[in-house]
Amino acid sequence: MVTVDTAVAPTSSTPGQEAGGLTPGRVLAWACLIAIIAITLFPFYWMLRTALSNGTTLATAGTSWLPVDFTWGAFRRVLGLATLEEAQAEGGTGSAVDFWVYLRNSVLVASLITAGQVFFGALAAYAFARMRWPGRDAVFFVLLTALMVPPIFTQLPNFLLMRDLGLINTYAALVLPFFFMTPFAVFFLRQFFLGISREIEEAARLDGAGHVRTFFQLIVPMSWGPITTLALLQYVQAWNEYFWPLLVGSERSVRTLTVALGVFRSQTPQGSLDWPGLMAATLIAALPVLLLFIAFGRKIVDSIGFSGIK
Amino acid sequence: MTTTAVPAAGAPASGAPAVARPVGRNRETWVALGFILPSVFGFVVFYLWPSVRGFGLSLTDYQFFSDTSFVGLANYQRLLGDETFWNAMLVTVWYVVLNIGFQTVLAILLAVLLHRLTRSVVIRGLVLAPYLVANVVVALLWFWMLDAQIGIVNQILSWFGIGPISFFGSESWAIPTIAFVNTWRHLGYTALLIFAGLVMIPRTLYEAGRVDGASEWQMFWRITMPLLRPVLALVLVITVVGSFQVFDTVAVTTMGGPADASRVIQYYIFDLAFERLDYGYASAVSVVLLVILSVIAFVQLRLMRANESDLA
Amino acid sequence: MRRLTVIATAVLVALLPACTVERPPAESGGWDDTGEVTYWMWDANQLPAYQQCATDFEASNPDIDIAIEQVGWDYYWGRMLTSFVANSAPDVFVNHTSKYGDYTSRGLIEPLDELIARDGPDLSQFVEGTGDLWVGDDGKRYGLPKDFDAVGLFYNATMAQDAGITPEQMQNLTWNPQDGGTYEDVLARLSVDVNGVRGDEPGFDPRNVATYGLGITYPPGGGSGQTQWSFLTATLGWSHTEKPLWGTRFNYDDPRFQDTIAWWRSLIDKGYMPPVEQAVGNEPSQLMQAGRVALVTEGSWNISTFAKLGGIELATAPTPIGPRGFRAAMTNSLADSIAAGSPNKGAAWKWVRYLASPECQSVVAQGGVVVPAVASVVPVAEAAIGAQGLDITPFTRHLREGTAFPFPAAHHAADVDSIMEAATERVMGGSADVSSLTAANEEVNALFTQG
Repeated sequence: MVTVDTAVAPTSSTPGQEAGGLTPGRVLAWACLIAIIAITLFPFYWMLRTALSNGTTLATAGTSWLPVDFTWGAFRRVLGLATLEEAQAEGGTGSAVDFWVYLRNSVLVASLITAGQVFFGALAAYAFARMRWPGRDAVFFVLLTALMVPPIFTQLPNFLLMRDLGLINTYAALVLPFFFMTPFAVFFLRQFFLGISREIEEAARLDGAGHVRTFFQLIVPMSWGPITTLALLQYVQAWNEYFWPLLVGSERSVRTLTVALGVFRSQTPQGSLDWPGLMAATLIAALPVLLLFIAFGRKIVDSIGFSGIK
Repeated sequence: MTTTAVPAAGAPASGAPAVARPVGRNRETWVALGFILPSVFGFVVFYLWPSVRGFGLSLTDYQFFSDTSFVGLANYQRLLGDETFWNAMLVTVWYVVLNIGFQTVLAILLAVLLHRLTRSVVIRGLVLAPYLVANVVVALLWFWMLDAQIGIVNQILSWFGIGPISFFGSESWAIPTIAFVNTWRHLGYTALLIFAGLVMIPRTLYEAGRVDGASEWQMFWRITMPLLRPVLALVLVITVVGSFQVFDTVAVTTMGGPADASRVIQYYIFDLAFERLDYGYASAVSVVLLVILSVIAFVQLRLMRANESDLA
Repeated sequence: MRRLTVIATAVLVALLPACTVERPPAESGGWDDTGEVTYWMWDANQLPAYQQCATDFEASNPDIDIAIEQVGWDYYWGRMLTSFVANSAPDVFVNHTSKYGDYTSRGLIEPLDELIARDGPDLSQFVEGTGDLWVGDDGKRYGLPKDFDAVGLFYNATMAQDAGITPEQMQNLTWNPQDGGTYEDVLARLSVDVNGVRGDEPGFDPRNVATYGLGITYPPGGGSGQTQWSFLTATLGWSHTEKPLWGTRFNYDDPRFQDTIAWWRSLIDKGYMPPVEQAVGNEPSQLMQAGRVALVTEGSWNISTFAKLGGIELATAPTPIGPRGFRAAMTNSLADSIAAGSPNKGAAWKWVRYLASPECQSVVAQGGVVVPAVASVVPVAEAAIGAQGLDITPFTRHLREGTAFPFPAAHHAADVDSIMEAATERVMGGSADVSSLTAANEEVNALFTQG
């Protein structure tokens, strides 16, 4: 039974249209949702409250619900607007933070990684889901084993490889290991491509489209939702990648934001941490991704509707 | 990929009984190879080769700055008698059980709530917010909020006459706490993946169910769960394997303490490789971890029959 | 599938000889006198002063550029090793007594004896003892000392006043492992439970304490006990190893050591010190500020951190006098080392010499963070630090009175630390008896007998 339903239908039932309206069950469901959201958001409030506090007096009122000794100092420190004296007076450190450089590096690295992963991942996923060729499932299984490889295991040999290629402290070293393939992308898209009805494809075939055209003109547009979702997820992942950049890209010129956040960690043995600075940096580092999500969010959650599914 | 495909006349529809003309089949094979080439290249260079190299290293006493010699299976023998290793395995399994248990149940719940209650993009976005913050920072943030003496959470608990609880400092609490922190960060992400699976389920099924007088609860078990299986399989494989590799959170909070109560396997490997430079042995431990993970993932895929879709 | 496995195995076996490990190319570096010298340090508090030194140095050496990179202590040593593996190590870096043995044994840092013989400086300009710390067990010198530190007490002056404790009393505390002396009396007096009852008053509730007399850090001490217990054990005549530097036999089985730990542990039961598990994740300065603890034992390197704390009135005091009538404090010194693989060791050596010179060290002294190792500028530093509000003489007096003893540099330091950290943690956490430290000692000493 095939229904080619190309009408953009709302993807989930609208609340309030269900029989019964506000049943006890729905009240309970809403209560659950609100509780989850509250626990999700509270730490963000705490981050903001800390970021607006003064580091030298923060601990005197560790449990006050409002910023302690309100100041924009932490944000100024992070953005490199505060002088050394100002920074140190508020419990900051003497180390400079080249915020804009780190931001540029993060954007560049995350964008490159995402572009590569999604494009190559989609190609491979299509070959695994919609084409028939000898050894397909075996190859897929082998690729999938990459999922089991603990990063720590490949990181050191990869590190040695980058060293031998003379790429340490270059963008190439930061991007390459993730650029061509991530098993997750292949696996994820394959699962979605499997769900696309065969008849649509066959109709395209009868029109004389080859695989390449089918893929670019039919499958990709139809799977825009999952592809965007994947891109966003991988972007965030690349953005927050920590250990590898620390290993091969710790130099200032290629340092990413996540690695830079490490600057705020303990500066002296048994010394104290610049909490407001760390929290301000965290918020600012999360901001670009947040904006990205706001920009694409609606597209993602609205477009994960599959037309043409039985 | 600059191949412009010449329309292959009568290329068989995959799925239909193949009455293929060999030419068409061959073509398809070549195109497919072209499609997977970049991925295979990435796999060989950045996964397979390093793994082989890592396996090779596990048979040596490689320590970076000193002479290296081939020691055969000595590292593996040492591993069998290494109490820290076995303890690390146990700790890791305990963490995985807790983390996956919490996370999967909550994520399904959250995805269904989002799916059935509201279409608000804002709420969906909010749920994903923790995932936008780097692991390391999430760990630090909770480390501080859960502090035994000056943390806000213990302050709140004290209003209810509980505490203070040393979330990261006591042996029994350390792992559950770390599991909770990671659940907090990944819940939205996991829920979003499951949600993507939910919206693929045709609404007509629910409408039909409602006409038949089924309750939400019944529809959840009879429609949602069975049809969610392929996506759930994907999510579970990803999260289980991922959660075996817990590292960041431990590295910035407990550093394996107190008294090895949170020394998870990945952190143990890191400690061996980068702090003690005992790289040969660290590789041997990694190889064992790799084998264990492969078996687990394989079993999972078999059990969940992730390859088939009930919708196709 | 099965065939694939067989093939994969065959390929693996075939590849094995191919992955024999290459060693990083043994670098001997070069002796260029010009170019960029990268310099790593961990203490952000000292960064401004050293940045000033670099500016002054570049003015008189126009063909050398100094690029300072500050890396937090938590990451410093991990990144240092990684950078050596990656052949991207700094030319010069701040080194630590407990770590440099790892670098000398691997031949990663340059011995300086010939350079010093050729160019100076005169080693007698340094505070006594600081230079000797940097002579490795091979008899070669690997660094020029630039500062020194010692251990002492920071306490909440307001709380002490409220408890009726005078500053004079604080300056002359006594201690013994049996009843803890006046040191323990003060800690008891400073502890206040939730009902406002003090630790030395009847009815004190050790389970519900609002303010603890003494703070504890996590992990509690490791192998050296630098800021935790080393200033107590030393007053009993105990020492870590059979000789001050590069010893190969540790004495954690000695009753003097174990009695001290037992006394320290008893403070937790008495409610004068927080349980160890509650110390995970917080810093002494935070707890002082929050009013959770009244007194901490800390290193002089943190004095500017404490001086900056807002909202509380602090003071410093020397470590207590032991049963044999003298005080003791562990002292340590940092030095700058040159990477053996640096291409411009000539320029690096110039920089190192400048760093240890009175010119640079008086800039550092005025920075008011640490006390330089150049004896002539010590008073300047004491005055600069004192101007920030906390007196450093309780720390530096040990050097004048000869009651300082050196940080016990030894090989296998990282392993010794991790064994002793775990053992001490079990004892302090109450899951093991003090006598279990004897077994830990055997484990430590086995590191040296097994080669």
